Amino acid sequence: MRRIVRQPLLSRGLCLIALGISLLALNGCAVAKRAWVSPNLPEREIARNRFPVETGDDVIGRLAAVRLERGDTLPDIARHFGLGINALSAANPGVDVWAPAAGERITLPLSFILPDAPRKGIVVNLATMRLFQYKGDGMSPVVSTYPVGIGTRERPTPTGQMLVARKAARPTWHVPASIAEDHRKKGDPLPREVPPGPLNPLGDYALYLSKAGYLIHGTNKPASIGLKASNGCLRLYPENVKLLFDDTPVNTPVAIVNQPYLLGQRDGVLYLEAHSPLENPGAGALELEKVYAKLRSLEKKTGRTLDWKKVKDVQAEARGIPVPILEMGQGAGKEAANPVEVEHPERLYGRPDLPELKLEAWYVLAGDLRDEIEARRMAAIINHQGPPIPARVLSKSNGYRVIAGPFGDAGEARDAVRRLKIDLEIDGIVIDPVRKIES
Amino acid sequence: MKIRIVVMAMMLALAAALSGCATSGDIEKMQAQQKLIDAKADQALQDAQAARAAADAAKTRAEDAEKKAAERERIADEKAARADAAFQKSMRK
Repeated sequence: MRRIVRQPLLSRGLCLIALGISLLALNGCAVAKRAWVSPNLPEREIARNRFPVETGDDVIGRLAAVRLERGDTLPDIARHFGLGINALSAANPGVDVWAPAAGERITLPLSFILPDAPRKGIVVNLATMRLFQYKGDGMSPVVSTYPVGIGTRERPTPTGQMLVARKAARPTWHVPASIAEDHRKKGDPLPREVPPGPLNPLGDYALYLSKAGYLIHGTNKPASIGLKASNGCLRLYPENVKLLFDDTPVNTPVAIVNQPYLLGQRDGVLYLEAHSPLENPGAGALELEKVYAKLRSLEKKTGRTLDWKKVKDVQAEARGIPVPILEMGQGAGKEAANPVEVEHPERLYGRPDLPELKLEAWYVLAGDLRDEIEARRMAAIINHQGPPIPARVLSKSNGYRVIAGPFGDAGEARDAVRRLKIDLEIDGIVIDPVRKIES
Repeated sequence: MKIRIVVMAMMLALAAALSGCATSGDIEKMQAQQKLIDAKADQALQDAQAARAAADAAKTRAEDAEKKAAERERIADEKAARADAAFQKSMRK
């Protein structure tokens, strides 16, 4: 015979609490276990544009790394992670920009030393091709940073102090005489004005600077961010210029500097970030001498000896990454120098779409090549034109064909042929539809 | 007694002289051996020369292959640079 024992209410409550604690503890164990088993689990997201600025710190962000997948191009990776193509290429020397190997692990240089300039308004460093926008009060300052495209060697972006004079959404582009002349010479005459739309190189937003003729604007060629390709204006990715436009009042100060060598500290560690000087390598000598003078003075002040070989290596490699060169105090942390692994996103933001092939459409044969890499490179370059021209590689028994299209009519296909010739010096051939369109 | 000693000495001298002389058979045999060794040396020399020539040829082939690979790499790099330059130009307004 069984005895039924009635548990007192208090005891039952205690049991429930104990069960709850056990479950919580087990949950904790599971998290801990995951951390022990896979300490380097890739992160899904990483900060790329907006960072708090700790008092006394000059370095923001964190280096990251991602493994490439088939079909990736560096411009697509750069745009997704808010980087310019210049920065991504410099951080990953030797990696093919247009046809990198799948599985290759590349560094995302998402750590930046703030330029040596007053932290207010907008500061653009031409050498790093990056814009910094300072916000927030003195207690908790925040900086937003975006990559930019800058002026060519022939028409460089001016340095100096200026203001945002006015702003315009959906701006009209009044074609400057110099650009009109360039296009006329190429056999591609431009109208006097280009209205808002996909052909407008200003994109959807423009901030007109107090220095006449110079703008901070969007672009219809996003792959040009991180290149010296403008006529002196500063270009941003479309998604970045919108944020900057919304967040920048008229009369905001704009300082444009040219600092290829940057020094800064974070958590008691001194970092050096070196970029290739914009002009010929010798022209950066003056800036370099300034940095060396600072370092020598720091050596005297702290009584510590710098590893000058390391300093010179960082400068010579010019990878655009902050490298720790001196621990200035006890317990200084160098965590920022170790890249954090990031998961490859399912879809890269802004990657050009490739419409499906259609038998009723027109195409353009852009290349007939024996080498696959060459064909992939050509297709990727065509895909990244602004506005984009869809292009793909079709393999055949003895080579590879680069086909642009599909195009809705013969006129569109002929226009693509014209653009390929003018912009890329490619002689395209129009391919008529395989199947006639039923009327 | 004296004569006996002389005869014995002569016999000893004759025996010594006879044992030092080689027969013509011996000489032929020796010459044949020399020929064989000489032929073997010729063969070894030829083999060594052939091996050296083969090594030289392999080295030349390897150098040629290396040159060709370097040339291919140079051409590929040039093509990539040309494509990139064309792209950068196309990104202007």
